[in-house]
Amino acid sequence: MILADILTGAIRSGTSVMLASQGELVSERAGVINLGTEGSMLGGALGGFAVTVWTGNPWLGALAGGLCGLLIASIHAFLVLSCGANQLATGLTIMFFGMGVTAFFGRGFVSEQIVGFNPVALPFLSDIPFLGPVLFNHDPLTYLSILLVPLLWFVIFRTRIGIMLRTAGEREEVLFASGINPKLVRYLAVLAGGFLAGIGGAQLSIAYTHAWVENMTAGRGVVAVALVIFASWKPARAMLGAYLFGAAQALQLTVQQQGYAISPFFLFMVPYLLTLLALLIVERRKSSRTPEALGKVFAGEGSG
Amino acid sequence: MKTQTGTIALPAGRWPSFARWKKRGVQTMIFVAPFVLYGIFLLCYGVNPVDLYVSMVKSAFGDLYGFGEVLLKATPFVLTGLAAALPAKAGLVNVGGEGQLAIGALFATWFAVFYLNAMPAWLGIPLMLIAGALGGALWAGLVAVLKVKGRLNETITSVLLNYVATFTVGFFVHGMLKDPDSFNWPFSPEISSSLRLPIVDGTRLHIGFVVALVLAALVWFVLAKTRLGFRIRVLGSNRLAAERAGFNINKMYFWVLISAGMLAGIAGMIEIAGIEGRLRASTGANFGYLGFLAAMMAWNHPLRLIVTAFLLGMISVAGNTLEIGSGLPSSSVNILMALVLFFILGGRRWSR
Repeated sequence: MILADILTGAIRSGTSVMLASQGELVSERAGVINLGTEGSMLGGALGGFAVTVWTGNPWLGALAGGLCGLLIASIHAFLVLSCGANQLATGLTIMFFGMGVTAFFGRGFVSEQIVGFNPVALPFLSDIPFLGPVLFNHDPLTYLSILLVPLLWFVIFRTRIGIMLRTAGEREEVLFASGINPKLVRYLAVLAGGFLAGIGGAQLSIAYTHAWVENMTAGRGVVAVALVIFASWKPARAMLGAYLFGAAQALQLTVQQQGYAISPFFLFMVPYLLTLLALLIVERRKSSRTPEALGKVFAGEGSG
Repeated sequence: MKTQTGTIALPAGRWPSFARWKKRGVQTMIFVAPFVLYGIFLLCYGVNPVDLYVSMVKSAFGDLYGFGEVLLKATPFVLTGLAAALPAKAGLVNVGGEGQLAIGALFATWFAVFYLNAMPAWLGIPLMLIAGALGGALWAGLVAVLKVKGRLNETITSVLLNYVATFTVGFFVHGMLKDPDSFNWPFSPEISSSLRLPIVDGTRLHIGFVVALVLAALVWFVLAKTRLGFRIRVLGSNRLAAERAGFNINKMYFWVLISAGMLAGIAGMIEIAGIEGRLRASTGANFGYLGFLAAMMAWNHPLRLIVTAFLLGMISVAGNTLEIGSGLPSSSVNILMALVLFFILGGRRWSR
């Protein structure tokens, strides 16, 4: 059952990226691109791991991870929204900040061990042949993350909050005219995005690897940002993209276990190349609609 | 509105000078504040920040060796900074200096190990430099093709390709380029001593620093003084105007990115021929990102970039001082670096 293994692994290793990309999606819908997602994920991974070590409770760990992610994202929000700093450069700096801070505070946690979250097989559902083990034998955070996707879709496209969010990313004048402060909406969106990225990072350290390793996110935050573009700012497609990334990672493990003589380094590249390919296909079909405020960032506002 | 009319009515000379002092004050604050904050952080870990800052300055300016170390660190930042600044002038955000440097180092080492080992320095070193530039150009070429043909945003593609580049270097140093005498350590054989860059006596500083300065001056000259540079700046500040003027925008994007890749690739070659002597998976790690940030701090001005790269070089050297002098890991200097950048990014509005 290699296929089932890969699909299970796709969800298992894709969840952290998925959570981060959902968060980034919220932030980008409001018109703020946050490359610091990588930093938020790292902060979440370490914060979540540390609190799990101290309390033994992975739920508290996940919450702490989210808060660490939020804290790091708040720097981005402040610099970009209140100080008018360049979004891309600030995001990169935050990525650095995340690496430095977690490397520093994470030293003592490198050899720590935790129980953390472990896969819970859902009764009855996990007995379904093939689909059961693939879909219904995961850690609790993964189940929650799957529920998050339709919820986020509903909030973004079917509620007043969602309209406010999208308006902040498209036409802030309209929001202003209706008496809502677009800056506040953006602040909240970036913070929410950081929170989700932090939980994503925590999922990586407390549910997936059960360990803290320096710089363990290895670009997942950047991939999350790329996936949001691939997903044309739609939650379900971001989920699909994240699982695709996860599948590429699972494939790498499976191929190694099967003992094929392919260099692991080629396999490491696959998820990133796949992300590029996915972006290319979407752009070809020209179905992506960039939120207007984001388009301005990409057009190089303040870069010259 | 009220303040504006007020300024006009005031006696000339008095308020502008106050405004200038205020601007200076804010600029100084922006520079000092991160060091104060980091000092508080150090105090929490029982390290006396004043002692540390003094020893930092001493290790950078106290003797020729220390000063050489700072210039040595600054060299790749100047080049990867140019790799970000030049495209930025054309309105592009190239964060790929990291990968372009890595592939440049890979190409330079490959040619040095397999083809150039027996050559005299006057021929071998320039050829190795060309190989490095070629590698960087190739990697930037991927970003350029994806930008021009695939219409993909270069920021995202260049960051993603950085990871691919790191794995590519990993593949080679674990495989075809692995030193047969290395007892299975993943690094390349050492390049011949004839290919090493000449070194200034009493330091580790090599001639690569001069190369970086010359290239910075060249990029400045092209951008500021030539017709081509003018076109690049027009494209960067107003794409529509460039279109109306009939510029071949895609061609310009393509060649600007290729040139940026060459600059970063040369940085990779200099790391190999100047310092390391052999390729490792970690060669030049983070230099691309730091160069990008140096360019950012310099407003993408090639000459100001030399100053900001020097500053980042100083902080990098301080990382070693920190580790030796206070027992804190050298990674904690990244926190100082990030703080400095935060204040510069955030304070821009008030310092103008």
